[in-house]
Amino acid sequence: MPTFSFQPVDLPPGIPAFRQQIRQFLQREMPDTSPENKSNCWGVADLAFSRKLGQQGYIGMTWPKAFGGGERSAIERYILLEELLAAGAPVGAHWIADRQSGPAILKYGTAEQQQKYLPAITRGELYCCIGMSEPGAGSDLASVRTRGEQLADGRWKLNGQKLWTTFAQHCDLMIALVRTTPVDANNRHAGLSQFLIDLKHTPGITIRPIEDMVGGNHFNEVFFDDAIVEPDALFGVEGEGWQQCTSELSLERSGPERYLSSLALYLELLRAAGSDAESTVVQALGSIATQLWTLRQMSLSVAGQLVDGQDPTLEAACVKDLGNALEQGIPHLVQRIVSSELFLEDQSDLARTLALLLQTSPSFSLRGGTREILRGIIARGLGLR
Amino acid sequence: MLAETVSRLFAEVESDQLQPTIDEMGLAGLMLSEGQGGAGCGWEELFEVLEPAGQYAAAVPLGENILASQLLGKAGNFSLSPYVEGSLQEGKFSGEVRNIPWGRAVDTVVAQAATGDVFSLDTSAAHCRENHNLADEPRDTLIFDRQAIGPLESADLLQYCALMRSVQMAGALEGALQLTAAYTLERHQFGRAIGKFQAVQQQLAVFAVEVAAVSCAVRAACRAATRGDAAFQIGAAKLRANTAVEIASRTAHQVHGAIGFTREHQLRQFTQRLWSWRTEYGNDRYWSEFLGRRVIERGAEHFWSDLTARDDRVAG
Ligand SMILES: Cc1cc2nc3c(=O)[nH]c(=O)nc-3n(C[C@H](O)[C@H](O)[C@H](O)COP(=O)(O)OP(=O)(O)OC[C@H]3O[C@@H](n4cnc5c(N)ncnc54)[C@H](O)[C@@H]3O)c2cc1C
Repeated sequence: MPTFSFQPVDLPPGIPAFRQQIRQFLQREMPDTSPENKSNCWGVADLAFSRKLGQQGYIGMTWPKAFGGGERSAIERYILLEELLAAGAPVGAHWIADRQSGPAILKYGTAEQQQKYLPAITRGELYCCIGMSEPGAGSDLASVRTRGEQLADGRWKLNGQKLWTTFAQHCDLMIALVRTTPVDANNRHAGLSQFLIDLKHTPGITIRPIEDMVGGNHFNEVFFDDAIVEPDALFGVEGEGWQQCTSELSLERSGPERYLSSLALYLELLRAAGSDAESTVVQALGSIATQLWTLRQMSLSVAGQLVDGQDPTLEAACVKDLGNALEQGIPHLVQRIVSSELFLEDQSDLARTLALLLQTSPSFSLRGGTREILRGIIARGLGLR
Repeated sequence: MLAETVSRLFAEVESDQLQPTIDEMGLAGLMLSEGQGGAGCGWEELFEVLEPAGQYAAAVPLGENILASQLLGKAGNFSLSPYVEGSLQEGKFSGEVRNIPWGRAVDTVVAQAATGDVFSLDTSAAHCRENHNLADEPRDTLIFDRQAIGPLESADLLQYCALMRSVQMAGALEGALQLTAAYTLERHQFGRAIGKFQAVQQQLAVFAVEVAAVSCAVRAACRAATRGDAAFQIGAAKLRANTAVEIASRTAHQVHGAIGFTREHQLRQFTQRLWSWRTEYGNDRYWSEFLGRRVIERGAEHFWSDLTARDDRVAG
């Protein structure tokens, strides 16, 4: 028996036609953008484009129709995502809501919460962010210190700080992990709860942008100073925030966004290579093509396992680890073989895409669980922990 | 099912009895049609049979038997090779067929000339120059002098052999991984199993991911080969298997320490095979150039649509 299970998936009939539909939609509706902005495109927010996707039924497409979903299959959604990413579409605004917040609300939310948020998400009008990390809680997420205290009238008072919150500035809703009972030294995972926090209308919340290394404004710090939320902001079961949160994380590790972030650079290298390309370039193109193909097979296989109701947590960790290594490896490989100088005002698409990815790719193996944490999960799967 | 049966065979039968048992079971006929007295199986079933052969480091040319039998249309202990140097004239071949697995022990070999012609050769009159790969597996050269050929239907023998070897590599990688993982729980140092050290765990995780990638790639290539033209997938699978050898062998030996460096230890059965197999039927450079040329020829505009079309074709 193989250690991990990666059976190939048979795509259902109808996929080629659906893929064609998506490509036609993108040809029509996707804003013109430079190759560099096509790289890591789920980190690029374009609210107008997200609304167009919503109108097309391309957000929450597997969710119940009652909440604006399309009741389509998870494999179809997978095909949609890979097409959006391969085209370099700016899908960052709604990505988190579609991938994990919406599904979490479907799973743990009350009927009122579902009605309140899901339809607006599917329209591409309501965006969500992840309120997990804090200054003292990165990989060791259970050490979050943001506190929630229930008041006599049932409302909750929140105090603390979230950090690295992607696109909090655009988001209406944060799902935050908060400590609601003091730490029990014997069970650090107990006493945590999740909250649905309305970022636009809750007094006592301050969102401050943090400029990233490349000068981009995508993540933020979010402060809660006696922020008061209604009783119905409690999400799921009080005290079970840890379990809810980790099941949310497992949704986000095996998707095509874990290996395609540097595809745009590969395509630029391919565009630049003619039939007289040197052997090193030809070999690099062949080698990366192989890795992209392999990762697609692995990622699809995990999608198939999810559809079949299996629990591919370990396989998902494999996809993310290997996919991130590929996304990070591509810029370095291209730099090894291409001689363009990297000027800030460089004109060539290839050099600009390379420069951007050299600088952004270190984050690929941090976001969504670091390389070391993933490898720890895999080692546990091998029986070593 | 198939995988379990052959796994038991490799686990339980003494190595000198393996080939006779395989002959007796008629495993060589796996990919022959039922009309030819075979099992009518394709590449996916070949994976089920050959992956365990790799995982148990079985010293038999089972894959060669199966593929040569399929090409010949009858089952038997045959071998094959895409490496031919010589001339074909008036139905007679003079020259060398090189690197034939177990060439000394087979009575017929299937070969492919540079012209693309595929043919069979009776080996009884051939002169045999014996050789071995690093794992001591026979890799013989047979020298023929005006030997009558049996013309066969066209096929790409290099592709056949590359996929066959990739399947075995997936198995050998899995075998090395399982051996290594088990060893980290047995071997104690500093008062605990070495597998409890995070440095060891992280290395093993990287190793396991490589093994998973190869297994997935090779399975996907087998599925594609059953369904038609699979040149891209086969090349990619062999290349993916080749590149995994480095991390796998380095990690397996590092974790085993000195004991794994002994002649007696089982580990070398995997690593010596993997080092040889990486070169057999196309090394990294060969396949990366093959694939690189193909994607350049198609151009950036077609890269993604080609990649997806390969799986969509099946969906229809
Ligand atoms: C682009 C980007 C977007 C992000 N968006 C969000 C967001 O929207 N919401 C959110 O909540 N968070 C977000 N994050 C934060 C992300 O989840 C954290 O960066 C991640 O969990 C790691 O935490 P840290 O940065 O504090 O690093 P640390 O946990 O301090 O880790 C530093 C280093 O130590 C290693 N390390 C830590 N613990 C161990 C251990 N037990 N064994 C071995 N090595 C260990 C880590 O692997 C890493 O290499 C984002 C991060 C990035 C880069």
